[in-house]
Amino acid sequence: MHIDPPILERTIAIIGGIIVGVVSAKALYDDWKTPGIENQVFKIMLGLLCLGAIVAILAGANVLGNFPKAA
Amino acid sequence: MAVGFLPKGADLTEHPGADQLYIETRALRLQGFLLFLISDCILFSSFIFAYLYMRNSGQGWPPPGIQHLDVAFASLNSVVLFGSGATMHYALENWKHNNFNRYALFMILTILLGAGFLAGQAFEYNHLIFDEKVTWAGSGIFGASFFTLTGMHGFHVSVGVLYLIILFLQSIHGIYTKDKFFGLTAGTLYWHFVDVIWVVLFSIFYLI
Repeated sequence: MHIDPPILERTIAIIGGIIVGVVSAKALYDDWKTPGIENQVFKIMLGLLCLGAIVAILAGANVLGNFPKAA
Repeated sequence: MAVGFLPKGADLTEHPGADQLYIETRALRLQGFLLFLISDCILFSSFIFAYLYMRNSGQGWPPPGIQHLDVAFASLNSVVLFGSGATMHYALENWKHNNFNRYALFMILTILLGAGFLAGQAFEYNHLIFDEKVTWAGSGIFGASFFTLTGMHGFHVSVGVLYLIILFLQSIHGIYTKDKFFGLTAGTLYWHFVDVIWVVLFSIFYLI
């Protein structure tokens, strides 16, 4: 069975993005009430990591970065 | 928390109140490290805004002769880097909870994923330079900006991988304890920082 490499890459990106998104969202939820300046920075970073995972999922699903082929 | 400077003539290795000194100086070291990350953020921001300004003042995008980048592979590589951010977070959490085996597992995973991202970037560079003929000096604003920004980020990831290897070796040799592990906190902050920078770079080069 032959699988087109871009389709395989997109599939892994979507599955991996979902895993990373869920894990980082859970880490953010668990750390939400922790005090201290480094934990506030960690929360911002985890939030942005979650955003990055969503962006990667949308890119993998061809929702973002869906450009027409050059002539 | 009391925040103070080191007393005159203080010797951390022999001072009987070394733990107290650690507590008192930790906040200062954290502030110093956060200032370093902010300065790095400003460095990346200046290059990113220069790229966006030049891109929007040109005649259409991408420039003639250059195709859009491979979004599928970049998405996969991005997920590898973002995954390493999640594993690094759990490495630190397991260290805090005195679970060394799981800490070691997540730390090794982070290092491997970081190295995997670098390998992916090397593969993409190889494809762009030798197949697509996109070069740093010969492809105008796009080539110069792409290779400068992603190269600078790749350099940060390379330094981060080395940093994590050193931290891991130090933790194996007992440099850090359950109560004193600022190096690991700084390493996690740095690694999250390179992740977050990639969110921006991935978006501006591949998605818009």
